[in-house]
Amino acid sequence: MKKIAKMIIVLSVIGLVSGGVLAVVYQWAQPKIIANQIKETDAAVFKVLPGTKSYKKAVSGDLTYFNCFDKQGRKLGTAILCKGNGYQGEIRLMVGVNNDFSKFTGMIVLEQLETPGLGAKIAEQKFYGQFTGLATKPPIEYVKAVKPEKPNEIQAITGATISSRAVVEIINKSVKQWLETK
Amino acid sequence: MAGNKVKKSLFHEFIKGWWDENPVFRQLLGMCPTLAVTTSAINGLSMGLATSFVLICSSFIISLIRKLIPNQVRIASYIVVIATFVTMADLFLKGIFPDISKALGPFVPLIVVNCVILGRAELFASKNNPGRAFVDAFGMGAGFTIALLVLGAVREIFGSGTIFGFLSFEPLVIMILPAGAFITLGLLIGLMNYLKDITKAKEQPAPACLPAGRQAR
Amino acid sequence: MNYLIAPSPHQKASLTVPGMMLLVIFALLPAAIAGFIFFGLRALGLILVCVATAVATEYLINKIMKKEATIFDWSAVVTGLLLALSVSPSLPYYAAILGSIFAIAIGKQLFGGLGYNIFNPALIGRAFLAAAFPVHITSYVAPFFWRGVEAVSSATPLASMKFQQQLTPYGKLLVGNIAGCVGETSALLLLLGGLFLLWKKVIGWRIPVSYLGTAALFGGVFWLIDPAKYPDPIFHLLAGGLMLGAWFMATDLVTTPLTKKGMLVFGVGAGILVVVIRLFSGLPEGVMYSILIMNALVPLINRYTRPRILGRAK
Repeated sequence: MKKIAKMIIVLSVIGLVSGGVLAVVYQWAQPKIIANQIKETDAAVFKVLPGTKSYKKAVSGDLTYFNCFDKQGRKLGTAILCKGNGYQGEIRLMVGVNNDFSKFTGMIVLEQLETPGLGAKIAEQKFYGQFTGLATKPPIEYVKAVKPEKPNEIQAITGATISSRAVVEIINKSVKQWLETK
Repeated sequence: MAGNKVKKSLFHEFIKGWWDENPVFRQLLGMCPTLAVTTSAINGLSMGLATSFVLICSSFIISLIRKLIPNQVRIASYIVVIATFVTMADLFLKGIFPDISKALGPFVPLIVVNCVILGRAELFASKNNPGRAFVDAFGMGAGFTIALLVLGAVREIFGSGTIFGFLSFEPLVIMILPAGAFITLGLLIGLMNYLKDITKAKEQPAPACLPAGRQAR
Repeated sequence: MNYLIAPSPHQKASLTVPGMMLLVIFALLPAAIAGFIFFGLRALGLILVCVATAVATEYLINKIMKKEATIFDWSAVVTGLLLALSVSPSLPYYAAILGSIFAIAIGKQLFGGLGYNIFNPALIGRAFLAAAFPVHITSYVAPFFWRGVEAVSSATPLASMKFQQQLTPYGKLLVGNIAGCVGETSALLLLLGGLFLLWKKVIGWRIPVSYLGTAALFGGVFWLIDPAKYPDPIFHLLAGGLMLGAWFMATDLVTTPLTKKGMLVFGVGAGILVVVIRLFSGLPEGVMYSILIMNALVPLINRYTRPRILGRAK
């Protein structure tokens, strides 16, 4: 009996001390973590919609997008958070569209788990840079090995067609979803 | 355990983790983070340092309270102590180094189940005074960090083609894939064994008794 | 020849390791020459580089490990040749050198040399290259590209089937004037080489027949389900590296089962795998991985197909 009591007491004390210490550390870390997340979103939004000075987050269903405004408070366009399955895992990216929805203003890959050296090239400027100035209608298409000719075409990465196709499909799907919510 | 019978010098407890009982290359413990996060030198180094922090703190604390813990609940107590420090390390990385935290992903929380840490707690810290436990954990942590740094550096050089930043040749993509981790680790362990054989041949015949901790793989 | 007293079973044929290896090289020559005709000096260069590197690596490792030199059993030449025949003709020479070193050093010698390796060394080298240089290994050039000024990149029949649903005529697949690896394009010449080895009793019929048969049957099932989406069985047999793999790589004595039943299991397993990879994975071709995966299962297959000892209950 005494043994069991000791066991319970020791474990409880250890648990209590541990909880107390963690509470203190959490208090200290939480604001910093939130600040980091905001900084990350800021950087992404400013990058896909250059000229943005402030933005407002909007959520509809599982879609998140940011309405962006310039210095004078005029609406510049929208940054849409897109996610979907790539070749190996989930790809999260953000695209910006201008206010009259005629052009993409930029794209940035936030998270990806594609094959290093191949599919991972979707996170390189050479690939995502292609989306800047791309026409929004009709939906994006990709071409292989040749130079894109139409205003809605991008060139797929050599040897990583599946990852390139995944990015295009994710963007098309999310943009369509966003148009439906408008 | 041999450690209780013959008190080895503090220096020996410190230095054994670096080479003779290196947790990665000789004990083959903690393989999950070793193989998974060492895609670059910086990832290997940060993972090694995070693990070392948890290892040193938890070994010290466990050694301090070792006489208070009833035998039946010792593993549970160790895990609570370890998990506390892991959570601290995780929150710290998330708050101060968000990029590193992102690169290491779920492997920071997974330090809880790293067998190097529980192994040292069970084998050493629970049987030695805090000073010795601290020195032992420090040595093991250093050995673990060095191993991860070497692995990460080798894989970064060959897999990304970067040596201190600049691109020098076409990289072998395989080296940053999981297969490259296994190949690199295997070859490094082979090299360690080869070096060990050479140094052993030079010394006089090895002592019959194994160093502490060796029996418990 | 010395008279050795050895326990049964006794090998009846008078084949030696160097003799067998020379026959394999001889059987591969037509396909290699075809590669030279289709892909020019580049193909010949790759073959020479791979063979030379493989032999040099074998020699060096024998020296370092202080073992008897084994380069005269011709097995390193076969490994180098098979590797060269199974890579794209546009592969850079340095990649070919690295692949050959890896094939011999890691794939063969680290396991203990010929007879101890678990995996086919040439395929290990190929798999290493596929993971190390994914872009080079998947970029192919059209045959006779050397007549033009620039190398014309072109898709292999399997890739154009997979990504564009385009079939290549059987005639072209048989002759081999299509894009593909150096020595895999000409199904006819490879078949001839394989039959020659069969006739000379260097290889048995079980693995190639069960491998090819299963691939055709299993591929045929999907073709019957949806002929528009999946290729027909003859296409499965003739396209890609199946002929090269079935006759020359899956029949490697060291890395395949010892028992007759086991050989059939090996062939059937590899045949199913190759169709599954070709039809349902991100890769257009699956011969390499199908054989490597079955290589890994050989100890298990041997264990479960061990013949019963006469007179003893199971």
